[in-house]
Amino acid sequence: MAIAPAPPTQTIDISPVGRVEGDLDVRVDIANGVVVDAWTQAELFRGFEVILRGKDPQAGLVVTPRACGICGASHLTCAAWALDTAWGTTVPRNAIMARNLGQIVESLQSIPRHHYGLFMIDATNKNYAKSPFYAEAVRRYAPFTGAHYEVGISMSGRPVEIYALLGGQWPHSSFMVPGGVMCAPTLSDMTRATAILEYFRKNWIESMWLGCTLERFEQVKTYDDFMAWLDEKPEHRDSDLGFYWRMGLDIKLDTYGKGIGKYITWGYLPHEDKYQHPTIDGRNAALIMKSGVFDGAANSFKLMEQGFTREDMKHAWYDEEAIVHPYDRTTAPRQKNDIDFEKKYSWSTAVLHEQNGRLEAGPLARQLVAGGPHGESWQWKDPLVLDMYRSMGGASVLLRHFARMHEVIKLYREAERNVREFKLNDPWYVKPVEKDGRGWGATEAIRGALAHWIEIKDGKIKNYQIVAPTTWNVGPRSSIEDRGPMEEALIGTPIANLHDPVEVGHVARSYDSCLVCTVHAHDAKTGAELARFRTA
Amino acid sequence: MASLLWLQGGACSGNTMSFLNAEEPSAVDLVTDFGINILWHPSLGMQLGDELKALLNDLVSGAKPLDIFVFEGTVVNAPGGTGEWNRFAGKPMKDWVRLLSGVAQFVVAIGDCATWGGIPAMAPNPSESSGLQFLKKAKGGFLGGGFTAKSGLPVINIPGCPAHPDWVTQVLVAVASGRTADIGLDELQRPKTSFTSFTQTGCTRNLQFAYKVSTTEFGQRKGCLFYDLGCRGPMTHSPCNRILWNRQSSKTRSGMPCLGCTEPEFPFYDLAPGTVFKTQTVMGVPRDMPEDTSKPNYIRLTAVAKASAPQWVENDMFVV
Repeated sequence: MAIAPAPPTQTIDISPVGRVEGDLDVRVDIANGVVVDAWTQAELFRGFEVILRGKDPQAGLVVTPRACGICGASHLTCAAWALDTAWGTTVPRNAIMARNLGQIVESLQSIPRHHYGLFMIDATNKNYAKSPFYAEAVRRYAPFTGAHYEVGISMSGRPVEIYALLGGQWPHSSFMVPGGVMCAPTLSDMTRATAILEYFRKNWIESMWLGCTLERFEQVKTYDDFMAWLDEKPEHRDSDLGFYWRMGLDIKLDTYGKGIGKYITWGYLPHEDKYQHPTIDGRNAALIMKSGVFDGAANSFKLMEQGFTREDMKHAWYDEEAIVHPYDRTTAPRQKNDIDFEKKYSWSTAVLHEQNGRLEAGPLARQLVAGGPHGESWQWKDPLVLDMYRSMGGASVLLRHFARMHEVIKLYREAERNVREFKLNDPWYVKPVEKDGRGWGATEAIRGALAHWIEIKDGKIKNYQIVAPTTWNVGPRSSIEDRGPMEEALIGTPIANLHDPVEVGHVARSYDSCLVCTVHAHDAKTGAELARFRTA
Repeated sequence: MASLLWLQGGACSGNTMSFLNAEEPSAVDLVTDFGINILWHPSLGMQLGDELKALLNDLVSGAKPLDIFVFEGTVVNAPGGTGEWNRFAGKPMKDWVRLLSGVAQFVVAIGDCATWGGIPAMAPNPSESSGLQFLKKAKGGFLGGGFTAKSGLPVINIPGCPAHPDWVTQVLVAVASGRTADIGLDELQRPKTSFTSFTQTGCTRNLQFAYKVSTTEFGQRKGCLFYDLGCRGPMTHSPCNRILWNRQSSKTRSGMPCLGCTEPEFPFYDLAPGTVFKTQTVMGVPRDMPEDTSKPNYIRLTAVAKASAPQWVENDMFVV
């Protein structure tokens, strides 16, 4: 019996995949127009962990928001809670809500900015000229000139005006400090915040994004509900959400970008009455949006704990033990960062769960976990994305980006609630006592699970470690040679035009990877003792 | 009409994010109303991979003219001056910076990283980062002290961590509309129009500053942040309290001490233990005082100010 010859494999290196924030290089192997292997490489190293060593314990409040200008509020949140747990502070109710609100408005900013500024402009790529949706996509989303592009970009700046009311400016404030926040907003600040939220709801979420009220969309609990909503009215079909879904199906964004099917979220938004005496162990039971690990194949849910985190350096440019907990990292960057796919090829480490291995982080992970039965009865539940995941046979570019956009409604509601619940004459800050120790702070940046680990000794930082969502997602192979989440998600991606592989971009963009975050997350110093891993 | 290319080195995208908050004009207005042709930007460009490399090569060869080269982030020189820790489109980013700076009419450094080196260049500067024409206070940087772009101007420094969008857009519009003669630069190559007045200029706490009333800890509704909480507003050049942030506020108005982020020394004292959000003092007198203030004058003024302070200045001012 004749054996068919193996199809020729073409290799293309795509450097850089623009519009992910930072320098991400992706190498894919293609056979018969489909990606059969992939490598993702983080190509920038700045060394924030190295810089923080020996500095003032509070240096992370200044430095880490600058690790990522897109997720600065998330880094600040982690930096503050890490110090709170290390110092054993009391954080007043108002301060918990002010931190949450700061983080929420940063995410509300990012949702339209990512959608219009980064994601949808690919729909105007000439590769889709045959789609019946193409002309309308160009009219709406063409960079700079598209009717909705302009609205989306200018609208995205509004929510962070609330951040400026709390912290003076966005990005890069440091208004969250151990023991609370720096600000003590007034009635006029609350009035403005309310007006800004209303403006955002009326002029974007309801009118442009949904084509219906928040209340109507909040009735959508299942995939069938969603499809019924889509067909209910022209306003729904023609909304930017309706258009995204219909064009996405037409250009087959539901058919690739599946990924590894296991997910992590740290959960976020500690409840103002449940985390005033923050501890590492007490965090899970205090979160409005719960933490979790979801295994799609096993259909299992469980809580996520920081102790499960491991970083695997076998294929990353660090001369360190292959697999360690972040507290045990030394951040020893390899001086010579030659690309060798058999050995080391990225500044991102491969992040693992001690028991569950590689996990995907991001809004999809949060939404899937939000559908799970685990956790506290009062925590947020939302069955929609989990039901879509099951009905559609797992994840895809289409569903991953949908999950990101879907969060806007819950975040908006929580922002409204925070503004309403502040008791302006109650405390915003309780001065803490500094001491040595270990701390941990975590949150969910819009793009996924973010955590900071700090060890303070002799009144200064002994070790500071950051694991960003992009570290989870774009990490290289691990010690067992399994692909990272995005590497795996690229497998099976159809490439129509080798000279313009927009599909690879879709997958990368659906992870909203911020290489800048990754890069900041992992840093520098050489240790000769670790050189044995050079031959790994 | 002016062509613009924006690249990022050792960057966090904070200046891009800030730029996208621009209002008058907005980032979109720059393209549609002011005729700025954005050839590529890491967060806005359409091209992937090879198409971008072709564009960069055309700019370097002169096949396409480049009017404005904007750089955000540090120039990463590690390891050992090779720049291999920050590769972009097939080569070290620093090589692209050198080539593109040589063909651009104007070179604009946006944010502290591109101007002075910023946070990545803080000790021990593991990425061997530098600003385009400065490293912290020292002139030179990556391009060298004598560098001038084709227009004859040195690198235009728009510092800040991040830079306010208006500080950026006014320079871009000036270049695109032929008003470059109106861009006066100070000795740190910052546009004078933005960086002559102090951060304190326009601060809502100036009365408390004048009468030496302190905000003693965070979360209060009174006092000035200079005396205890390390505010650098009186020593920092920026229009943060003249042109507000996100149309709403400023750090000092909201209760956060100014960190001096438009000055090359930021972050001050390298964030050594005991220096974060704490005023550094020598025998009870602030170690850093308002520009050109002598210590004896400061002490005399303090005595007079405290003695003449009215009762209300101690009260809550920013009340509910």
